[in-house]
Amino acid sequence: MAKDTLFSTLKQNQGMLFTLLVFILLPFVVGLFNGASPAQVWLNESGHSKFIQGLAIEIFILALYALSYDLIFGFTGLLSFGHSMFFAVGAYLTGILLKSFGFSLAATFGMLFLAGIVQALLFGMVLPRVKGITFALVTLGMASVFHVLVISTELGEYTGSDVGLQGVVVPAFISPASERLRLYFVTLTILILVFLLYKRFVNSPTGRVCTAIRENEGRALMLGYNTFFFKLAALMLSSLTAALAGGLHTIYQPIVSPNVAGLGYTVTALLIILIGGVGTLNGALVGAVVFRLLDYGLRRYIGESASFINGAIYVAIVLFLPYGIVGTWKLKSMNLRQGWDRLLGMLNTASKEK
Amino acid sequence: MNVFIRKNLLRLIILIVLAGLFVAAAAGMESQDFLITLLRGLSVGSLTFLVASGFSLIFGLLDVLNLAHGTLFMIGAYIGWTVYVRSDTFMDLLTPLALILSGFLLRDVWSLLSTRLPAAGRMKRILPWAGILVSGLILFSVLRNYPIAIWDVGDYAQSPVSISYLASQGQNVQPPPATFETISPLMAFAGLIAGSLLLAFSLSLFGAGKQAEASRITWRSFTGFAAFLLAGIIFFIFNNLFTAFLAGLNTNWLFLIAVLVAVGSGAGLGALMETTLIRPLYIRPIYQLMLTLGLSAIGIEMVRAVWGRPEFTMPRPELFAGTGEGCPATSLAGWWQYHCSTMMLMDGRIRVFNEIFIPIIGVVVLVAVWILLQRSRLGMIIRAGVQDREMVEALGINVRRVFTQVFALGVGLAALGGVLAAPSIGLSNMMGESFLLNALIALAIGGLTSYPGAALGSLLVGLLQQFIIKYGQIGIAIPFTEIVFKPSPPIVPASIILLMVVVLLILPNGLLGKKE
Repeated sequence: MAKDTLFSTLKQNQGMLFTLLVFILLPFVVGLFNGASPAQVWLNESGHSKFIQGLAIEIFILALYALSYDLIFGFTGLLSFGHSMFFAVGAYLTGILLKSFGFSLAATFGMLFLAGIVQALLFGMVLPRVKGITFALVTLGMASVFHVLVISTELGEYTGSDVGLQGVVVPAFISPASERLRLYFVTLTILILVFLLYKRFVNSPTGRVCTAIRENEGRALMLGYNTFFFKLAALMLSSLTAALAGGLHTIYQPIVSPNVAGLGYTVTALLIILIGGVGTLNGALVGAVVFRLLDYGLRRYIGESASFINGAIYVAIVLFLPYGIVGTWKLKSMNLRQGWDRLLGMLNTASKEK
Repeated sequence: MNVFIRKNLLRLIILIVLAGLFVAAAAGMESQDFLITLLRGLSVGSLTFLVASGFSLIFGLLDVLNLAHGTLFMIGAYIGWTVYVRSDTFMDLLTPLALILSGFLLRDVWSLLSTRLPAAGRMKRILPWAGILVSGLILFSVLRNYPIAIWDVGDYAQSPVSISYLASQGQNVQPPPATFETISPLMAFAGLIAGSLLLAFSLSLFGAGKQAEASRITWRSFTGFAAFLLAGIIFFIFNNLFTAFLAGLNTNWLFLIAVLVAVGSGAGLGALMETTLIRPLYIRPIYQLMLTLGLSAIGIEMVRAVWGRPEFTMPRPELFAGTGEGCPATSLAGWWQYHCSTMMLMDGRIRVFNEIFIPIIGVVVLVAVWILLQRSRLGMIIRAGVQDREMVEALGINVRRVFTQVFALGVGLAALGGVLAAPSIGLSNMMGESFLLNALIALAIGGLTSYPGAALGSLLVGLLQQFIIKYGQIGIAIPFTEIVFKPSPPIVPASIILLMVVVLLILPNGLLGKKE
């Protein structure tokens, strides 16, 4: 019996498992294509494989960040323009603690946890007061104040003002230069764990109430839910994830540019989940892959006019994939399935009549 | 009276605090510094208002957050610059533009043809795309030989506009700009017209079957087409004549023409954008954000492709450019006599164009749009639509057309702002973005969908910004201490954002916004 349920869960999630397998094998396969044996890849000796791993790590971090935005925007319906602050606080805090205060990695991540909670409470403070687009603008304001703090010359000793934080020394056992494969698997594991946690959260009663708040907050209030606490819970989980993503960003790239605190980086998250599909967890992952690869590919092969084609692709996605890649695909596949059912039903009745 | 005070207590307190701050700021500096800062604030506020008012009209009526508004502001500035500085390029552009547009004016013919088309099934689906492809190829092959832009994605820096500009500055440039002579004008004309006709026809095929019925074809259906065709030909034949006329024109009149052309093309662009791209998205509001962001990126890259990399400056029109005898003027009469670029006012030297002309235009636009909103039928529909769109639709008013008009109006205002800003702050690809952010903040302060709110918010944003910049130079002496606090440049954007956050936390709908 237990075996059967295990088998059926495996079968239900075969797409996910397949993707996971692809990502586990990716560094080795890329190595093989360039004539490096898996052993060499294991010892971080294949340059090309390392490069691909780096790209994948960036995608994982973007995916974490996009997941966190999808939770508050796609599932709870809170439009925030200050989301980059969550990420930037994580990135800067990790860098500063490691560099200037000599914290250990564990202590740093402990502080990240605290910072995540504090930020969520900060955004939560204005939640009861402002709604909709006004909330977006107030959060934009908070994020801009943080951006100014980061680039101000007064704190330049710690943040490196507008040059960015540089020269963070990452502990050797996870260093992106010598132990990249390990970092790759650590980021992948974190992404998987966070994804599973999010899946659990979204399907839990709490997550259902969040979806209800998105659909109609008044009605959720009428049903007796204190929507403030549910929104705060979603914000907190989202802020923790984004801070974690920021921390990983600093570990992978020992440079933190002040751009991650700006409005542009929030727009990145928004674009990713719009590409993937708002309100779908898979969408955030697919969106992150598409976004990063598009950006990288266009910049590499087209150069100057990359953002022109990028913009054209966004417009095309909006027009031709109306609910994002995953969202539109879900709708289409549902239609297909309905069509098949209908067809089979017709055939059945036809054969019975004979 | 009591009721009024009780209802608006918070609002009044904020306004009193702001007024107090203003007085304190005024007391902290010398009177001529104060006057200059005040006028600069008014100037920045007017430009912000031109962006914000259009944005707010569009957001209020259509519920579209048009994030491409800053880019359209920038495009307006570049179009104005072209007409003003490179009027020969402008004349060269008119012919192909008129010819390409001419095909779209045969709407009646196309709708009749598309209903009569016998093709069915798969043919019907392929035909429009094939038409677009073929017409695109024709237009591309003609326009490639026409000195407007180099469509070489690898190399922007050498666009013909920037080459001819550098050449006119007396610099030696290689290669010399290509001319129309590489293909015969007759071929080019035929190509442009054929491409335009085919393109218009194939685009109309997409809508075939959705239109109610084809109207009858009369001679009226051809007038627009014929007029544009004729205009294109005239512009081509008398190109040199027109160019010479524009070049010999007083720069004041040329500036007026530039403003008109920029506003007109801005409005046209807005109408085109609304009808083709925004309209399918009214049911999916969030995706408008992505669309307008994408359009903004495209717009910036298009400007780079057509105008090249360099950042331009635009000379001020003659009326504001005088130096030498009698300058700086001591009074308005003196300015009128010598057309000075600067004048002395209470011992302070101010630039007439930036600090007097722009605020005046801002006030004029404010009043004009206010009258439009309050006194005209269109304004009535807009105000009603902002309040309750469904009700207006239910009353049988063609809201679609009003949407297009409002979008065109909003973008036209942004383009006006751009062309006015060009002589004072110069042109660059990213000039629109900061104004868009300022306008957004101004609207949040004043109330997102309120027209007077847009004016008040823009004014506050402009004044606060300029006062902080001024105090960054002279420093604020903090009372009871020896410290002189000098706000650093990043604090300028942060200060207006802080003002926005404070106002929004006290009044979530802004200073003049209505409660939902």
